Amino acid sequence: MAFLECGPFSASDGEGRTLFTGVSLALDDEMCAVIEGPSGGGKSTLLRHLTALNHGPESERRLQGRSYEGASLPDWRAAVTLVAQDAPMIQGTVEQNLRFPFDQRRGAERRFEVEEARRLLAAVDLGQIPLERHVRTLSGGERHRLGLVRGLLWNPPVLVADEPVSGLDPETERHAFDLLLRFARRPGHLAICVLHDPRLADRADCRMRLNLDGLERA
Amino acid sequence: MSDVIQLGPWQLAVATLLVLAAGVISAILRLGVERRLGIAALRTVVQLGLLGLILERVFAVRNPVVVIALLLVMTIFAAREAVGRATRCYRGILADAWLTMAVTCLSVGAVVTQAVVGVEPWYEPQYVIPLLGMILGNSLTGISLCLDRFLDHLQTRSSEIELRIAFGATRGEALSEPLRDAVRTGMIPIINAMAAAGIVSLPGMMTGQILAGAPPLQAVAYQIVVMFMIAAAVTLGAMLVVLLAGRHFMGPDATLRLDRLETRNHR
Repeated sequence: MAFLECGPFSASDGEGRTLFTGVSLALDDEMCAVIEGPSGGGKSTLLRHLTALNHGPESERRLQGRSYEGASLPDWRAAVTLVAQDAPMIQGTVEQNLRFPFDQRRGAERRFEVEEARRLLAAVDLGQIPLERHVRTLSGGERHRLGLVRGLLWNPPVLVADEPVSGLDPETERHAFDLLLRFARRPGHLAICVLHDPRLADRADCRMRLNLDGLERA
Repeated sequence: MSDVIQLGPWQLAVATLLVLAAGVISAILRLGVERRLGIAALRTVVQLGLLGLILERVFAVRNPVVVIALLLVMTIFAAREAVGRATRCYRGILADAWLTMAVTCLSVGAVVTQAVVGVEPWYEPQYVIPLLGMILGNSLTGISLCLDRFLDHLQTRSSEIELRIAFGATRGEALSEPLRDAVRTGMIPIINAMAAAGIVSLPGMMTGQILAGAPPLQAVAYQIVVMFMIAAAVTLGAMLVVLLAGRHFMGPDATLRLDRLETRNHR
């Protein structure tokens, strides 16, 4: 039995054209898996299905043997968490954006660690940004990195990241991806990310290509 | 009441000139509202005229069944008005608006007519109908603003809502911000009206009673009751209607169903 098992997922685009059908995933922990494929091919949609954000026909979702559906989907999302591509933010400060998951019921047993937040921010070259800064004033690239930091700080068993390092300069990109790899290569953890850069994908532990009939392991 | 100045057709014709003036201004400035203004004015005349005729009959009959029936018809029309001009809607919006109006307005109306005013007999149309009319009219504005804001929030700030969901928010947690935002918006008119009452504006009902010759302090007492009952009805209504609306866009699995939101094109 794999660490994470889910599917099958199918999706079509706005015009009714099929993006993919019957995609299932079975992945072990302690690794970083990469999903590649052409633009507009449905990679982001697949990640949204994986993290149960899209409504669709019933699919199986299992983590460490436990099955999630219906009213337990919030638990699933707290454990298989999406870091979205467009780096959405709640209105408020950097700290509020990093803290809110811990204030929700699913984060009630855990504490927001300011020191850990500072350490992660520094690791992606955001160390100079005060926690009281309003996110409205951040640049696109800064928001993007803040989104990744939020996911890492939340520290879920499975982090699902949609182009987590795109739009960064080469050195920051390397630092950010190092962080993600270190996160993923721990027992009881897994990262699944969509990447466009083959050089980065080479450093991951498992590469998959999304096409019409499913995910193909490279 | 013999000292009340009577209005006849001639006086109404003069008042019509005022609306015509507004229409001319609209035409000159090309606001494009003269048609809608004209239709609205015409509706006012026809609807109020019909209401006058109906009220004369209802007051004469004084039958509880007739009064209840009229109240129900009023809630249906209020619900239609509340959702009629919204740019966004969903299947079942009319039913939600009607249920909200019926529950909140009738219960607040019951408290006011029975416990506060102590109407005898309990269905006395001269009190029950105008009071409920005022509750419905204000509640309608509140509910319509509230629903509009709620649906707008769901659409324009969906990424924020989904961000919370992505980190495991329950339905209550994901919808709490849109809900608060909507209820706050729905309550603005009544809060403004209460804050400005007596300083900026002479509220409508008080004006009416004073024009009809009632002692000012009596008119004030009635107006306070009316303000408070409207505040209660609007607040309860705003909360109930977004709770009802929220169910359509999120189940216990907390998946945001924006596919159920429809956008209407008006005009």
